Amino acid sequence: MNHQAPYINRRSLAQPVLTALRSEYLVLFLCLLLFSALAPFTEGLASGNNFKNLLGNLAPLLVVAVGQTLVLIVGGIDLSVTSTIALTSVVGAFAMNGDDGWLKGSPAATPVAVMTMLGLGSLVGLGNGVAVTKLKMPAFIVTLTTMMFLSGLAIWMTKSKPLYNLPSSFTALGSQLWLALPIAAALAGLAHLLLTRSLFGRWLRAVGFNSRTANVSGVPVDAVIIAAYVACGLLAAAASVLYTARLETGSPVLGQRILLDVIGATVIGGTSLFGGKGKVLWTLFGVLFLSLLDNALNLLGLSHFTIMMVKGGVILLAALLDTARTRWLAA
Amino acid sequence: MRTLLRLIFVGLVAAGLAGCKREETKTSGAAPGDPAASPTLTIGVAFETLQTEYWVAGYEAIKSEAAKRGFKVLEAVADGDANRQFEQVKNFITRKVDGIILVPKDAKTCIPMIRAANSANIPIVLFNRPSDKSDTKSVAVVADNFALTKSTVEYMISEAKKTGKKHKAMILMGDLGDINAVGRRDGFDAAVKEAPEILEVVARIPTEWNQEKAQSGVVNALQANPEISFIFTSSDFLFPGIVSALKGAGKYKKAGEAGHVILGGFDGDATAWQMLSEGYLDATGVQDVYFEAQQSVQAIVDLRAGKTLPEIIRDPGFVIHQGNAREKSAQMWGANVKKK
Repeated sequence: MNHQAPYINRRSLAQPVLTALRSEYLVLFLCLLLFSALAPFTEGLASGNNFKNLLGNLAPLLVVAVGQTLVLIVGGIDLSVTSTIALTSVVGAFAMNGDDGWLKGSPAATPVAVMTMLGLGSLVGLGNGVAVTKLKMPAFIVTLTTMMFLSGLAIWMTKSKPLYNLPSSFTALGSQLWLALPIAAALAGLAHLLLTRSLFGRWLRAVGFNSRTANVSGVPVDAVIIAAYVACGLLAAAASVLYTARLETGSPVLGQRILLDVIGATVIGGTSLFGGKGKVLWTLFGVLFLSLLDNALNLLGLSHFTIMMVKGGVILLAALLDTARTRWLAA
Repeated sequence: MRTLLRLIFVGLVAAGLAGCKREETKTSGAAPGDPAASPTLTIGVAFETLQTEYWVAGYEAIKSEAAKRGFKVLEAVADGDANRQFEQVKNFITRKVDGIILVPKDAKTCIPMIRAANSANIPIVLFNRPSDKSDTKSVAVVADNFALTKSTVEYMISEAKKTGKKHKAMILMGDLGDINAVGRRDGFDAAVKEAPEILEVVARIPTEWNQEKAQSGVVNALQANPEISFIFTSSDFLFPGIVSALKGAGKYKKAGEAGHVILGGFDGDATAWQMLSEGYLDATGVQDVYFEAQQSVQAIVDLRAGKTLPEIIRDPGFVIHQGNAREKSAQMWGANVKKK
């Protein structure tokens, strides 16, 4: 009996930690932990201005990462999102820039350019989806080559010169938080509803979990996979609208370095790299975590190399925690 | 679920407390916007990349210049991502730095960054790369690419004259979308134009700042014109490719030896210093990193004091050559990189 009492005690102490570990809000807790641990030492982290910055940084990344979530759920991966961002940025800027744009000075410049960007992004997704399903090619290779091709195309089209002088009605989309944030929230909300409340959402998970059983059960597997890639391309283009507007520049290297952030945020959130499992809410937490980490480390004034090491270490830790948790929950 | 709510609550309270604490520290102490009250300035330094020696040397020079004056430096490196750089500049503004020194990714994406700093009333200085014309206010400290290249090539021409024969020349041009590359090409052309009896330009290699392109371009040009005896490169970082092509053609000789190809460059990096001290390189135009760093920090101090500065502060640089290598080496950043 003497041994029993402290054992129970320890268990009851560990209980909240275990509950937190088991919870799907784990990453959100980690965000809060990170924030409250760093806020006392980090000048400006808890200021209103910084919250605005944080939300502004988070919005476009969330939009790309939600697209990636959809593709990961069907068991695929889309490495071409970054060059989709670059290509649509350049094409949009070609259409609407005030120097030699096709629609220079026209009031329709902004809407037409945005629609062109979204259409082009969807088209890239369609190409990826068809190659993966109809040509039975591995998603990794298809989207890796798409990435190389589109990135080259964007640089070739611009001769590696960025395009400036975009209409102010367009740049407002990225520079005004009250415009950028609702756009990102609406897109993420739509994806969330699609995943949780629609038949299509169930199909997506069924295909990712086991495409053969899904097929036998009458799910149009190929169409579902293609739709996921199209949505991913569309969302990458929407993110490109926000990024391009924020920098006021159509750039052929826009987003070139954010692939790890996109996939990292999605996976940290808890979406499985093996398909069948994922939520928009998780991705939101993952994006929040990475954006907060980046923001806080930057405000701390650490050297670039330290930031890279800390960021890599924290992402690895989060991934380890996630793996351990998944295994432990399954047991 | 109750435990979860409790955890969230604790987190929020902690965050709130931390926030309050910050507010307190902010209200006490000197106002950061007031130059007279804060002799110790905090300067945010945002580099696009630290991947080449030149940028590392520039970054170190700014840090030591700031340290000399007792200023604090916050650093941020964007790794080639303009969006990240924008976020970093915004972070500097959040931290209420007293000035920002920026190495932009390109001349255009930095404009919204400059605008953000302008509207926060924080002076911003562009280091080594100017921005395009816009409605924003900034000061750029840049090398005088045209004049420095012209004097470098003029020195090379004076060496060529000594041989008493006419030379066939080759120039390696940078990415012509880069205003620095254009300035260097024009400087070369201006010097060559004044000495038609000495030089005939037979090869112009567009490298787009790419070492492989430079090397294959030089190999091809040497094949087509084996008598080329005068080479200028728009950046020293292309020398390894040139040297290997010259070695392949059996033409890599020291100055003064028979068959020496007159070599000149721009930047003043560690490779150039080594080639110069070994006698292979005739001259290179050195960007005076220390001058540029000193001017950048000074510009922030001046702008805070309300002085009006020109939009562009020129670094005249200097030509280092076989004749003055020893006395000028202390000022050449590449020589100092090598010593470390």
